[in-house]
Amino acid sequence: MPRYGMVIDLKRCYGCYACSMACKTANHTPPGVFWARVLMGEVGKYPNAVRQALPVLCMQCEQPSCMEVCPTGATQQTDEGVVIVEKDKCMGCKYCIMACPYGARYSVEEWESYFPDGLPLSPLEEFQKKAWEEKSGVGVATKCDFCCDRIGDGREPACVEACPAKARIFGDLDDPNSEVSILIKKERGQVLNPEFGNEPKVYYLLPR
Amino acid sequence: MDPKVNGQLQHDWSWLIAAYLFLGGVGGGAYTIGAINSFMGEELGLSTTVALWIAFPALLVGTMFLIADLGSPSRAVLAAMKPKTSWIARGTLIISTFMVLSFLHLVLHQFVAVDQSVLNVIAIAGIVFAIGTMAYTGILLGASKGIPFWRTGIVPALFVISALVTGHFALMLGIAVFGDIAETSAMLRVMALEAAVLVAIEVLAILFFLQAAFRQPDPRESAERILRKRMFVIGYFILGLAAPLVLMLVAYRAMAGDGAGVVTILGLGAVLGLIGGLILRQAVLICGALPTLNMAGFEFRRIHRPKEPKPGIGMLPPS
Ligand code: SF4
Ligand code: SF4
Repeated sequence: MPRYGMVIDLKRCYGCYACSMACKTANHTPPGVFWARVLMGEVGKYPNAVRQALPVLCMQCEQPSCMEVCPTGATQQTDEGVVIVEKDKCMGCKYCIMACPYGARYSVEEWESYFPDGLPLSPLEEFQKKAWEEKSGVGVATKCDFCCDRIGDGREPACVEACPAKARIFGDLDDPNSEVSILIKKERGQVLNPEFGNEPKVYYLLPR
Repeated sequence: MDPKVNGQLQHDWSWLIAAYLFLGGVGGGAYTIGAINSFMGEELGLSTTVALWIAFPALLVGTMFLIADLGSPSRAVLAAMKPKTSWIARGTLIISTFMVLSFLHLVLHQFVAVDQSVLNVIAIAGIVFAIGTMAYTGILLGASKGIPFWRTGIVPALFVISALVTGHFALMLGIAVFGDIAETSAMLRVMALEAAVLVAIEVLAILFFLQAAFRQPDPRESAERILRKRMFVIGYFILGLAAPLVLMLVAYRAMAGDGAGVVTILGLGAVLGLIGGLILRQAVLICGALPTLNMAGFEFRRIHRPKEPKPGIGMLPPS
C-alpha cells in the first residue's frame, strides 16, 4: 500500500497561483475556500531579503490533530495516509478547523456567488455548486484530499499537474526509489512547524 | 479572500459558541453553589431552589445555541461517537449527564417528596458533573491545536472561575427577584461579599492569562488584539469586572442596616457581571489567531495585504 506524500520545491515556486486555480477548478471549491493556497512573504534579512511564495495545503499529517478532535469519526485516515472527511458523518461542529494548526480546513454554510451585491449564481457557478455539494457538501468540514479520485484514475493531484515550474512533486513516501523519497533525502526535505507534532507528509525543499 | 494562516483570525466560532460556553458555565456555576448550599442547612434552601431553576434551563438553552451553530444539526446525535480522543465527544457526555442530573434534582426537589439522602446523592454526583462542565468549556478551547492563544493552559482555569462568578451572579439575581427581600437580605449581603471575592480572583486570572499569552509570540498577537477590542476592555474589564466588584462592595456595606434599597445596586452589578462573562468568551473566541508557519532555517514573514480586493474585471465597484 503506498503512503502518499508531496514535495514542494521552494526554489522553483515563483508564486503564480496556478495550483490554487487548478484546485478550485478540479474541486469546485466555493468562494473563500482555498484548499491549495499560496502565501506571499519574504525571507532573509536586509539587504538579502527576498520575496518568497509558500504554497500550503492540507499536510495530510501522519498524526492529524483534526482527526483526534473530531467527535463523530467523520474525519478519517485512508490506508494510503490521506486524511478525508466522510461528509455523511460530519455534523459541522468545526472543531477540526480549530485543531488544524496549518489552517487547512474550511466549512461553508452555503454556496454564495463570486459576484458581489447579491447577484444570482451564473450558470458556471450553478454547475460548480452542484458538483461541490455532491462531492464535499455544505454545512460540513472540507479539506484537500490529495485529489483521491484523480489518483484512483491514475492521475496526479490537480495542483501538481498544473504547476508550470514543476515545483510540486507527488508520490509514494514508502518507496525509496520514488522521486519524492529521493528528493527528500537528497535535498533534506523539511516539514512546516515540526514542533506541532503532526508529522506532515508535505515536505519542502528550501531556497538556498 | 485572504488565504488563512499566519496570524489570521479564526472566524468559524463566534456568538453562538460563546453563548453555549457562557450558559454551560452559568449552569455549572449556579448548580455547584446551590448544591453545596443544600448541605449547609435550612436557611440556604432558597438558594438551592433558585440554582436548580437556573441550571437545567441554562444548559438546555446553551445546548440549543451549540446545535444552532452546527453546520449539519441533523447529525448532532453523532456528537459522542469518539470520547476516546475528542473533547467535544467527552463534553457531550459530561453535559448530557449533568443535564439529566440537574433535571432529576429539580424535579425531585420541587415536585416529589423524597428523602433528603436521595437528594444528597444526586447533589454530590451533580457537583462532580457541574465542575466537569465548567472545566470542559475551557478545556475544549485548550485542546485546539490551531489556536495558540487558547493553549497557554490558563483558559480552563479562567473559564471555571468565570463560570462560578456568573453562576453566582445568576443565583443572586434569582434570589433577589423571587425571594422576599426582608428574609433574603442577610443572605444577599453575604453573597455580595462572596461575589466580590470571586470577581477579584477572576481579575487575577485574566491578568495571569494575558501575561502568559504575552510571553509567546503567537498568543501575543491575539493578546494584543483582545486588548485593542473596546468590547473587551470596556465591556468586560471595566463594566463586567471592575463595576460589579465595586457595586458588590458598595452593596455589602450599605446592607449592614435594613438593606432593602440596595437590591437595585446588587441587581445591576449581577447583570453587568453576567454580560461580562458572555463578552469574555466571545472576545477570547474571536481573537483566536492561527499560528505562524516556519521551518528550520526558513523564517517566513507574511506580507500583509489590504483585505478588500480592488474592483477589477468581474467586480462591480462598491455602490
Ligand atoms: S494539515 Fe490540518 S487538516 Fe490536514 S491532516 Fe493535518 S491537521 Fe488535518
Ligand atoms: S466539523 Fe465534522 S469533521 Fe470536523 S470535527 Fe466536527 S464532525 Fe468532525
